[in-house]
Amino acid sequence: MTYPSVYPTGVTIYNPEKCWNGYTVFQARELGALVIDMNGAEVQLWKGLHGFPNKLLPGGYVMGNTGERNNAYGMQDQIDLVQVDWEGNIVWRFNRYEYIEDPGEKPQWMARQHHDYQREGNPVGYYVPGMEPRVDGGNTLILCHKNLKNPKISDKLLLDDTIIEVTWEGDIVWEWICSDHFDEYEFSEEAKNILCRDPNMRPSGGGMGDWMHINSMSVLGPNKWYDAGDERFHPDNIIWDGRETNIIAIIDKKTGKIVWKLGPDYNAKEVRHLGWIIGQHHAHMIPRGLPGEGNILVFDNGGWAGYGAPNPGAPKGIKNALRDYSRVLEINPVTLEIIWQYTPVEAGYVHPVDANRFYSPFISSAQRLPNGNTLITEGSGGRIIEVTPKHEIVWEYISPYWGKMLRLNMIYRAYRAPYEWIPQLDPPKEVPVERIDVTTFRVPGAAPIERLKETVVEGVLPYQGDTALCVAAGDELDK
Amino acid sequence: MCNTIFTVTGCTRCKIVKAFMKETGIAFVEKDIKAEGKDEFQQFYTSNRKNIYRGADGIEFPIFTDGNIIRQGIGPVLAYLYSGEKLDGYFSVGTLHREWVDGIHISSGNPGYAEDFLAVLRYLKGNSMKLKLDTDGRNSYILQMVLDQNLADHVVMNVLGPPELYSRILGEDVDLQDIEKTISLVPQFPEYQFQTTIVPVIRHNREPADISYMTPEEIALTASFIEKVTGSKKHPYLIRMFQPREAGDNRLKSLEAIDPKLLFTYRTAARSFQVFADLERQ
Repeated sequence: MTYPSVYPTGVTIYNPEKCWNGYTVFQARELGALVIDMNGAEVQLWKGLHGFPNKLLPGGYVMGNTGERNNAYGMQDQIDLVQVDWEGNIVWRFNRYEYIEDPGEKPQWMARQHHDYQREGNPVGYYVPGMEPRVDGGNTLILCHKNLKNPKISDKLLLDDTIIEVTWEGDIVWEWICSDHFDEYEFSEEAKNILCRDPNMRPSGGGMGDWMHINSMSVLGPNKWYDAGDERFHPDNIIWDGRETNIIAIIDKKTGKIVWKLGPDYNAKEVRHLGWIIGQHHAHMIPRGLPGEGNILVFDNGGWAGYGAPNPGAPKGIKNALRDYSRVLEINPVTLEIIWQYTPVEAGYVHPVDANRFYSPFISSAQRLPNGNTLITEGSGGRIIEVTPKHEIVWEYISPYWGKMLRLNMIYRAYRAPYEWIPQLDPPKEVPVERIDVTTFRVPGAAPIERLKETVVEGVLPYQGDTALCVAAGDELDK
Repeated sequence: MCNTIFTVTGCTRCKIVKAFMKETGIAFVEKDIKAEGKDEFQQFYTSNRKNIYRGADGIEFPIFTDGNIIRQGIGPVLAYLYSGEKLDGYFSVGTLHREWVDGIHISSGNPGYAEDFLAVLRYLKGNSMKLKLDTDGRNSYILQMVLDQNLADHVVMNVLGPPELYSRILGEDVDLQDIEKTISLVPQFPEYQFQTTIVPVIRHNREPADISYMTPEEIALTASFIEKVTGSKKHPYLIRMFQPREAGDNRLKSLEAIDPKLLFTYRTAARSFQVFADLERQ
């Protein structure tokens, strides 16, 4: 955030020695599923293929969607989920979740997929040593929408989240419905009150309450907690997060019940040290075989989310938690300690006065890489960075693709995959990109940093590291 | 003992029943269970616990007794006051609130008293109640009269199974033309729904009984049955799970409930013929 009018796009920083090198796939705004190499060369575009998100599979496959339901009637409903080969052939498709008849539209089956899905063989949808997703069979977990009413929540029509498991043949064999577990989320009476009156109503289809807005869903996979006897972390269990409620939860695959949860209230003593997690995305357990395995990695957006007591920033109590910077947190799910984080402080910005320079109030993600680096999608500004455990940015890419209909170069979620997952290509040449010194860099026509005249004024005092800003900042905050 | 009606302060249904009794000259004593009748009702309830239904939302009122019989809920009470026991089977205690009245069963009553049944419905409709009726397909001519006289706002049809199994599931010979006629009438009501419970079927009459749940293929045939009769794949269609403990036949009580995971296979099968098929939420 806080970008100047003019700035470079594409790869702006690249240190091949410190990076976990591979291909990066993401949905380029209004363009398609794009794969770039470490220098930003566009090695494949599945043109027009939607992706919410796109994910690469071994063998040069990509997953995505062939289209989105008319927004007048649906909220982010993808009509299907497909697996496409390197040549663009659809080799697998699922769409038979709900038969939709929208006014003026062709009646059709739709998956109503949104935000996430996971193919069997891999718990999280990104590269994990020894856990390759299946490409010619296996079940797929899909995050979907379903409209329903639940008087416990509100008398209004809800846009509910569901998770389904479908076979390679397209048969649904498991279904979980978010609102069925409303009593387990432990909302305060204040939260229930505003939820009842306004379950985050959106205008599509004449109005529907996007009350939870789950935006990520993945499997825990094998992990040390379960091995140590903690049944909450059964490898088949599923973790998700709800943007509108600030909840991160793990559900028991067998019973559907919530067995572990953060939020919706972060004022409680045992979680107060985390600070408020707000509008978060991509909460998942780092899979076995990657550094930090077993910990929960989440992009804590900040922004605005939650239900509860009204305050000046949220006079009705909806979206009553507010923060104007983002954080990436790695949390031990048993002790609830923060193990690692990347926040504006680690990014080198003065907190909080410059904190909004690391800020995406929506979308975004974090992927743990095999060398311990973390690939972070700071989505609203179309920025992807790879940072080391010591917070050094070793790769940075800014998407050059602004939408014509929506003037954003946003990236919902990017994934890094190993070169060998695209056997159709020879591994590319890796050319370092040195960080430009922006204090001396000038665009054509701009004057260099030279002074025609420099004048000494007698008696002026030296500058000091300013701890007397209009607001408390930096070290002052810690006192 | 005189006619006694137990009511609740402010209960519209109780007022409708009292008005009927006054109009028809039936003498009664009212006991408001929130006021002077509290203790008496407590005693009455304790003595007649088995005959009074207590649902998830508590006890439905009014409750009527003449000293011998007990009727509970606006439908059963009005039916009894109108025709004595002749309308038993048509009405039971409902579960809906406010203006909606359910527990009205077209197929379960004596068809010889259809006119009396319709008269009760007319009285309820005349008092601005909305009626939700259910049918298993039998007595289609009564449903036709209900339709002609606009006496139902919502009709639920339990399509018991495919034509080949209908009589076996019901335990009596069925006129399939009667069933088909009902299927064709149901979509003409303001609101409607088809539904099928995946019941255990006693496959033959020999002992030991060969009992097995309806198969996904049989549910698909049921959905196909609806499509063939109506010419449409687009009806609201609910697939329900059988609860063995609620079975009337003792041979079925000991059955294992069907594995919920298998329900999706049934839904997938049904959706080939009814695209809006869905599973009942537990």
